[in-house]
Amino acid sequence: MTKIDPILLSVYARTFKSITDEMSISVVKTTRSPILCEAKDFVTGLYDAQGNMLEQTENLPILAFSLAPVCKYLIEYFGDDIHEGDVIFHNDVFSLGNQNNDVAVYKPVFFEGKLVAWTAVKGHQADIGGNVRGGYNPRATEVWQEALRIPPVKVYEKGKLRKDVWDLIFANIRLDIVQHDLKAQMGACTFGARRMVDLLRKYGLESFEAHKIALFDATQKMMEAEISQIPDGEYSGEGMVYFDGHHDGSKFTIRVNIKVQGNQITFDYSKTDPETSGFVNGTYTSSASATILTLLQMVNPDIPHNEGIIRPIKIIIPEGTILNASYPKATTFGNHLCPPNADAIIRALAPVIPNRVTAGWNNLLCSLTTGFDQESGDNYVDINFMAMKGGSGAMNGTDGYDHIGMIDASGGVLDQDYEMFEQQSPHLLVKHEYLEDSAGAGQWRGGIGIETEYVVGSENTQLVTFGDGDFEPAFGLFGGHDSILNTIELFYPDGSKVVPKNKDLILGVPKGTRYHHIAGGGGGYGDPKKRDRAKLREEVRNGVISAKMAREVYGLND
Amino acid sequence: MRFKVGIDVGGTFTDFFLVGDGMESIIHKVLSTPADPSIAVTQGLEELAQALPTPLSLKDFLSAIEVIVHGTTVTTNATLTRRGAKSALLTTQGVRDALEMRRGIREEQYNNRYTNVVPLVPRYLRIGVEGRLDRKGREITPLNLDEINEAITLFKKENVAAVSICFMNSFANPAHEQAAAELVRREMPDAYLTVSTDLLSCIRFYERVSTTALNTYVGPLLDHYLSQLQMRLKNAGFHGVLLIMQSNGGVMSPEVARKNAALTLLSGPAGGPGAGRAYAATHGLNNCIVVDMGGTSFEAALVVDSPVMVNEGEIDRLRIALPMLGIHTIGAGGGSIGWIDEGGLLRMGPQSAGASPGPVCYRKGGKLPTTTDANLVLGYLNPDYFAGGRISLDMEGAQRAIEEHIAKPLGLSIEEAAAGMYRIICTNMAQGVREITIKRGSDPREFPMVVAGGAGPLHSCLICTELDIPLQIVPRESSVLCAVGMLMGDLKHDFVRTFISRLKEMDWSSLGDVVASMKKEGGNLLAGEGIPATRHQHFIKFDCRYTKQYHEVSVVVPEALIAARDVAAIAKLFHDEHNRLYGYSLEGDPGSQVEIINVRVQSVGITEKPQRRAGAYAGSDPSAALKGQRKVYVFEEKASRPVPIYDGAKLKYGNRIIGPAMIEMETTAVFVSADYDCVADRFGSLAMYKKGREDLVADTLAGDKA
Repeated sequence: MTKIDPILLSVYARTFKSITDEMSISVVKTTRSPILCEAKDFVTGLYDAQGNMLEQTENLPILAFSLAPVCKYLIEYFGDDIHEGDVIFHNDVFSLGNQNNDVAVYKPVFFEGKLVAWTAVKGHQADIGGNVRGGYNPRATEVWQEALRIPPVKVYEKGKLRKDVWDLIFANIRLDIVQHDLKAQMGACTFGARRMVDLLRKYGLESFEAHKIALFDATQKMMEAEISQIPDGEYSGEGMVYFDGHHDGSKFTIRVNIKVQGNQITFDYSKTDPETSGFVNGTYTSSASATILTLLQMVNPDIPHNEGIIRPIKIIIPEGTILNASYPKATTFGNHLCPPNADAIIRALAPVIPNRVTAGWNNLLCSLTTGFDQESGDNYVDINFMAMKGGSGAMNGTDGYDHIGMIDASGGVLDQDYEMFEQQSPHLLVKHEYLEDSAGAGQWRGGIGIETEYVVGSENTQLVTFGDGDFEPAFGLFGGHDSILNTIELFYPDGSKVVPKNKDLILGVPKGTRYHHIAGGGGGYGDPKKRDRAKLREEVRNGVISAKMAREVYGLND
Repeated sequence: MRFKVGIDVGGTFTDFFLVGDGMESIIHKVLSTPADPSIAVTQGLEELAQALPTPLSLKDFLSAIEVIVHGTTVTTNATLTRRGAKSALLTTQGVRDALEMRRGIREEQYNNRYTNVVPLVPRYLRIGVEGRLDRKGREITPLNLDEINEAITLFKKENVAAVSICFMNSFANPAHEQAAAELVRREMPDAYLTVSTDLLSCIRFYERVSTTALNTYVGPLLDHYLSQLQMRLKNAGFHGVLLIMQSNGGVMSPEVARKNAALTLLSGPAGGPGAGRAYAATHGLNNCIVVDMGGTSFEAALVVDSPVMVNEGEIDRLRIALPMLGIHTIGAGGGSIGWIDEGGLLRMGPQSAGASPGPVCYRKGGKLPTTTDANLVLGYLNPDYFAGGRISLDMEGAQRAIEEHIAKPLGLSIEEAAAGMYRIICTNMAQGVREITIKRGSDPREFPMVVAGGAGPLHSCLICTELDIPLQIVPRESSVLCAVGMLMGDLKHDFVRTFISRLKEMDWSSLGDVVASMKKEGGNLLAGEGIPATRHQHFIKFDCRYTKQYHEVSVVVPEALIAARDVAAIAKLFHDEHNRLYGYSLEGDPGSQVEIINVRVQSVGITEKPQRRAGAYAGSDPSAALKGQRKVYVFEEKASRPVPIYDGAKLKYGNRIIGPAMIEMETTAVFVSADYDCVADRFGSLAMYKKGREDLVADTLAGDKA
């Protein structure tokens, strides 16, 4: 039994982190889809031979805990048929994938002929087959209408490309850039694998195995200490989902029962509403990720993200509920059930840990346009990241953060650069600014939301909307106010106005249409009348709070 | 006698490096005077005049100085402490918040207490005006001059001292910006003005507006500071040339610096890499890693023929999209504090005890154990010969702090705990070196490491062991490396124009015009700085990518390839660089096209470099420099034992020291670990090589046979 060297333990922890960070930089710099290189909708990770998470760099937190379960599944699936030089693809939501578009690349790492670790990169692809370009099909009722399913498949075996398999996959995907982006993901995995082998060469396998276990234990201890600070008991909360893409007026409730016992915590979703007939359904992996990321926002942010952090957390989500759809339901919207899931958790825990929770965050409402850019002679796809990011919820002592978007991204998704947006799409940006009075009022106000307007630059444009937050705003806490609703409106050149539903597919949007989008702010915390007056006056001067609101809601007298 | 002086103003010390014909160069340090940094500058010059072999009056000394190269952190500090000018922004209607939004990033995603940075321009002074160009620079809406006049009225009323102008798509057509600038110049003649396309004519709105606002924010301060400095120097008798250090490792005249103040924002450590290259060259090497470890930070940079450049950086989370040296800074230094995290892991920094309260052993009130305290406990510092004997160090205090905060919680002895602190700080620094090597596609093992800074040479053996680097060079002037580098800097001016085209469809004659106009601009600037055309050089770079990629790779393109319109050769340069950086290229992939986004020109005016004096070969025996023995922690053996101590000032060219050993100099100490040996080279610098790798320093060992 190797003796644990506390110093070497720190060296391992630092090195694991730098490996996944380096993999992440490699993906950002080499991918083509703006979803990856601009919005950073991917995660890089490092796993041990059994698939336990050693470290990860999650640019988008909703992906944070989605790689390890699949890694364990692959190990079981391939058994002794795992070799040096293999590369495995996976996206299948019915074998622990989280979202069809999120394709994971796994590479086994060998040292002295033995499987010792895995590197992996999971990223949201610009297209994944199915009925609708881009993957968001609000009309889908089954998985095949959404995507090509990729259960675990080797695209490289012992270092050799399986050309037939590769061609089969990409014959079913519309856009060429997906091939290149997956090559970039493979490149990052190779990078990480090399670093891992260097590390083992230096310290040896035995030392690595022993210290890895010690690292998991140390992390578990940190997480347990955090949970112990939550009073024992059972707490319930609810979050609402509006519209399943098929039935106007439909709504669904996520119900969580949280049980805290000493240093262990259980999230039980047994009372959550049943699955829908549309694509508004979660998978177990994406829903559990949402739960974990919400909890992690309430604890010390410096705890390393490895296997140890999730050990004290138990999550029960029965199959057949909206958070864990049964085969072969459509599920593409599942990641976006994170905001209402977070709402439920925050509402449950706010009364017992009022200083650790935020008020409600702005929910996602997003759009994706595709069409033909006459001038450049190219097809384009644009996800309007800049327009969808509202404000975060306030907490006791800190205002919400302006314009960082929904809680499942938490400031990890970047706006397109305005000039690059106009190069890569034919649209003309008219406005992208903070919106006055969009933040929920409070002693600590919510993060400010934004208003976006652009002129559509292509004829016969296809617009897909997906999201929520247009029925219920981000909620305030402890006397703080709610924020405003999200909206998307289209003003056609002929003077007519089209208001898409929050999950919709609009065809034939004409050139010259004005696209108008509001992403609301976050909820406020505490009585607005107690807000610092100097700060308030500054905000009125800066036009983020109106004089009227300052007077009527905040009670500013001068 | 004619002199040249490099002056590096740092947070704690202002460093001087003086060279003169035929004399030994002189290193000098005085305490900085942050309130008016030029005071320390003149004081140091006075002291230098006295330190000459034949002392001179300040006036005689100054009148004999040909060149002063000056590095200043005036702009850096103003940004970090938000003491810049009251500034305003004129921009396109609808996008005035881009500056504050920073593309909507929260760097710490799980930390709900984390807040955004305060913008350099408050929202009420960010004015969007009507007027719009499309993506090709074609006018869609004319510029509304009435709105600009209204904005100017507000700016005047608010006593705005500095104005930025940055409009959408101006990189494709600067007409609207120029028209607005004319109006501002007329109505606010005393205001400092930055026009985005004058500073940085390239695509990406956020990058441009952020850089422009930074320039405006610090411009008036730098202008004022340089005026004061020039006046002080002139009144004291200086008639030579004053040059200012830039973040790109080059120098510039005060006139250029005044207009482009942002070029100095990250210039603090920018002298180091160029100097490091000169020390590596002593051993016939063109490439090296240059590291500098001070009290609170550790800087690492890579030299491949010349110091490696990047096209953007950050200060206080604000983007600067100007070409600069790729220097990576981490919070690791002598003052870094050791602590145990909640999971029981030992961590070092980034919190630093700084100069105040300082390490425990300085007896200035510090209570928490630092790197320096660990170094003292491990025997790396001589308690009685620190800073040349001017400070006596508190060994017991250091031991107590380490015992209480590190050893007891981890169940280790004090020595084990101190060794752990030393180990972790070195691991952190090794990671810092990986940032500039592995992350940018280079293998650190292939580079010698040039080690600078007071604390650097105590840690470099372990850093190099971690990274498998066989050769280290500790310059004789290690403690003032940046000041040395300033005297080695050429005048350098960077230009960029956005020029979007597929390589295969390139309009070569337009490209030629763009390159020629930048070269002309560079030539004019250099001529204005007194550099004759025979000493001008221009380097061309293309920022390229595969079509539909979002990030570009900069490649140096020889002018001959452009003249020959050699598409294949230029594409090959890009494929190779992409492969080097990211592990693959798409050369030969029929669906992949290369496109060019920006064209860059760097115009260089070659300056005369100081010559160093070589010593006479004195044989391998170092015994004349031996001072005695001390117990020192030898990390390879995980134990302390007596090792020989040498006086660095007495080491001669060719003297060879077998590790483990300590070498003490007035401003730094060197630890030669058990796996390394060391030889003094002909310029008095130390080359440490892995045992058995005498081949790396064979020429020096043999007395260079010259």
